[in-house]
Parts: sequence; C-alpha cells; structure tokens
Amino acid sequence: MIILDIKNLTLEIESNGVLIKALDKVSLTIQENEIRALVGESGSGKSLIVRAISGALPPQWIVTADRLTWRGQNLVKMTRAQRQAIMRRDIAVIFQDPMAALDPSAKLKDQMLESVPSEFIEGRYSWQRYASRLSISHKILHKVGIQNIEACINKYPHELSADICQKFMIAMALVSQPTLLIADDPTRGMETNTKKQILALFTRLNKTRNLSILFVSHDLLAISAMAHSMTVLYCGQTVESGKMKAMRRRPLHPYTKALMDSAPSFSPDLKPKSMLVALDGTIPTLQHLPIGCRLGPRCPRAAKECVQMPIERSINQHTYRCHYPMHVESV
Amino acid sequence: MTPLLSIQQLTYNPPKRWEFLSPRSEFVLGPVDLHVHESETLAIIGSNDSGKSLLAKLIAGAVKPTSGEILLNGQPIGTHQSKARANNIRMVFRHSAESLNPGISIGSMLDEPLRLNTQLSPAMRLEKVMQTLSLVGLMPDYYYFYKHMLSDGQQQRVALARALILDPQVIVADEPFAALDPSVRSQTVNLLLKLQAELGLAFIFISHNLGIVRHMADRTIVMSNGQIVESNLTQTLFTAPEHPSAQKLIHAHNSMLKL
Repeated sequence: MIILDIKNLTLEIESNGVLIKALDKVSLTIQENEIRALVGESGSGKSLIVRAISGALPPQWIVTADRLTWRGQNLVKMTRAQRQAIMRRDIAVIFQDPMAALDPSAKLKDQMLESVPSEFIEGRYSWQRYASRLSISHKILHKVGIQNIEACINKYPHELSADICQKFMIAMALVSQPTLLIADDPTRGMETNTKKQILALFTRLNKTRNLSILFVSHDLLAISAMAHSMTVLYCGQTVESGKMKAMRRRPLHPYTKALMDSAPSFSPDLKPKSMLVALDGTIPTLQHLPIGCRLGPRCPRAAKECVQMPIERSINQHTYRCHYPMHVESV
Repeated sequence: MTPLLSIQQLTYNPPKRWEFLSPRSEFVLGPVDLHVHESETLAIIGSNDSGKSLLAKLIAGAVKPTSGEILLNGQPIGTHQSKARANNIRMVFRHSAESLNPGISIGSMLDEPLRLNTQLSPAMRLEKVMQTLSLVGLMPDYYYFYKHMLSDGQQQRVALARALILDPQVIVADEPFAALDPSVRSQTVNLLLKLQAELGLAFIFISHNLGIVRHMADRTIVMSNGQIVESNLTQTLFTAPEHPSAQKLIHAHNSMLKL
C-alpha cells in the first residue's frame, strides 16, 4: 500500500518579481515497508521536498501539487492541527546538519526527554513520569549506538562531535515509533564504521518494525547498501526513479549514469588512478535554470529537443524523463 | 633514493593547562614515522579522533610538534626554516570553502602568498596567478571574483590553486572531497590526478571515502588513537588488512558494497 504519495509537486519561490520553480513537477511515492532513496546533489531540492512534506516551508512560497497525500488524506488541505498530529506520531524527520537542528541552549537530556511522546509515559506522579521518560530515552539512545550515555546526555550540543549529535537526532526521531522516517542526509560526514552502524539500525527497524524510510542523501554507497528503490533528482526535476537493482544495473537517464560513474567503488574493473567519467560544469543556480530538461547544457547526449521538458515514460516500473535515454542509440 | 618528505619520530602532546579544573583524557600523537616520494599519493584513513587531521596540521606546520623531525629532501625543516616549509608543503584545509576569505577577491587571495614568499614583481605575480587559475581550470576573469560568486566546485578549485601557487612539492589535504557533490567530486579527483601527472606532486590526503582512497592512493596509512597502526600499498591493504581497526574499516566498506 502506498503511504505517501506525491504527484507533480511544484514549489515556486518569488525572487525579484519573477517566480522560480525550485521544484518542478516532482513525483514520489513511498510504499509501506519500503526504503526509498532520494538522490540529488546540493541545490537539487532534496531538502525542499522534505520540508514540503513536513510543512516546514515559509508561507510565502507557493506549493501546488496534484496529490500530496498521507494514507489518502490530503496534506495540503489539512488544518494545521491535523497536520501536526500526523507529523508528531506517524512521520518523523531527521533534519540535515544536527548542530543547527539541535537547540544550542539546552542540554541534550532535556531535549531528549521532551521528545518522548506522552502516551508512552507511565506513572502517575511527576517523579515516576520523569523516571519513565528517562528509561525510554536511555533505551532508544542505547539502540542507536551511543556509548557512555551518561557522559553524553548531560552535555550541550557544541560539546559533542557531530556524529554523536546526529545519533541524538536519530534517537529523537525514532522515539515516537513513527511509520515513516524521513532522514535528510543522516550519514553526512560520518566515518565508515559509524555509517554502517546507522544503516544497520535503519535496516533492522525496517524489517522488525515495518518502518518505511525516505533516505535523502548523495552517498550512493550507503544508498545501494540499504535502499529498495531510488528516485534521482536534478535541479528540482525528478529524472529517474525505479528499483535500486534495476537502476544500478542499467541506469536509463544520462544523469543517473554519471552519478553511478562518480563512485569508483561501483566499478571494480576501473584502473586505479585512471580518470573518472564526470559531467562538465556545475549545477546551475536557481536564478539561471535552463528551460526544458535542466540537465541539457551539461548532458553529453543533449540535442535540439531537450529544450522541451520530456514526458515521463516508464519500463517495468522504472520511470524516466529523457528524450535520449541510455538504452536508445544516440543520434 | 631519498624520499621527498620523511617524518621521523614525530610526537605531539597537547599542552597541559587547567588540569585541576577539567580532567581531560590524555591524547598523544605518535611517535609517527612516514615518508612520501615524488609523484606519490598517500592516503590517511582512520576513525574519528584518531589524530588524522592533527597529523596533517603537523606536517603542514600549522601546529608545532612536541618532538621529532620532518625532513624535506633529506634536509630537516624546523621552526627556523618556516619559509622552506611554506614554499614546499602546502595545505588544503577541511571545508575548503570556509577557509577562503570572503572579503577579498580570488586574485588577491592568490596574490598574497606570492607577495609574502617571493620576490616577483607585480606583473610577474599577476602572470603567475593567471597561470595557476588556468591550471586548475578556472577562467582569468575569476581574478576579480569574490568567494560568494563561485560554486562549491569552483571554491574547491580556488583552494587548490592557493595551495599550488608557490609550486610546492607536497600538498597536504584534509578531507578535500567530503563537502563535494558526486559530479564535482569526480571533477576534483580528475584534476588532482592530472596535476600530479603533470607536476610530479606528492599528495597526502585524509578521507573517509574509501572508494576514492582505493582509486587514488598508492599507499595508505591507517591511524588509530594517535598511532599509525598499519601502512601498506593500497591494493594490499584493501585486500588483506592486518590490524583490527584497519580490518574493521575495510570490512565495513566492503559490506556496504556487496549488497
């Protein structure tokens, strides 16, 4: 069953009197019990999608969508209170950059205790309830793999390293036992061992608790290790989406191909110290977006048609938007 | 053949202060021995807090070592030869974007090391800056640009240009790829490989991205708790790591690959 369904989500930002489409007809679905990866480089609007789902966008930004539903309920038309209720219990979000997302003026203990939902707390009197909160927090902190909890919990965020703060963020998100976890770049800057721990935790929760995960990142190695399906985003447009295995075996969009090539670990027969295949140029800024397919100017297969936005085509649930996909001989 | 850069028995103890107020766990780096040859790439990997960045800073001279020697072409460089070090060992800092001065243009940023370390005339300096800009694949116009006008990848290129401008023999880079997007990262990797082939640079870099380490490095050093626990050719290390902490890192990497 589809739990989160996004169809043609468009987000417009006004800048100097011109409307800029920061997100252009993005479609994304998350099935129950699925780990979906959302891949894109910085500035591709990954975090904007996360914020659009969680409702954390400034009111002057215009969100339009054919569908933006949570279990059939329209998230856009919902009142604030209803939406907050869903965000509180069903969807949990781990925001990017833990140091910025945590409150610098409160100890981690207070922040952690505050995030425990009141339904889980047992006991009648305040000291019992406090003890109950504390034991729930300890359990979850232990689960995300924080060693010497006692030492960490009484500190302020700036006193700890970024990856421990990240683990606290994950713990705070998981404590409400959500159905969908949206993780915005949770493994950024982590070393390999810690990353593996976190990924193992996510996979375990996905298997035992039926947690669905939207894993937003550009770390392809981590994604390929755990995700079931993947959506690739470029400059606010979804370029390709499908099952992880199919996309790794045969990417259809030139951009996905370039992404896959950028990770040397994926090509075992690559000679050490040989040149990597890379697209020229860089991601355009929001003020200078090309028309049509936004990859156009950087794309090795671009042609005249590419100034028109390609329609969405699909082969076996593997959808892509490209005039000259990789399986078609280029002209 | 004498190695280009060799480090002998380098140690670092953090200075003790306020010990009675805040008891700190003693972290000691070293003693560390390592050497790098011309056109060789050395990667340093290890878990967090293993002293990788500190070692990089010690090599580049940003932090003074407690004891030990750093030899460049067989000549010891101590505190008195800081000029030789500044000219020959250059560093690319972590978060290279944040290490650029937002208040001055790229040109003056690149001009500064030349002004301070060489006797070139202004015209020659300008020429040198232009040369270096084209070397890292930037247009001459960027001389007048400021940091905020550049994208991530271009900022990375400027940071690299700043390291290259004095024609160094060794470049030390602290996580040069961490903050970069995949496509820009490939561009940077290609650029570094190209520069190394052209200029014969020795390149020491720290990275968490073991895929890139495996691709780029000739030799890899594994650090743990301030010690070098294993040092070997990259391919050998990745196929048969010996020390437990090296095994842990490489197995973690491989396990993510397999699935």
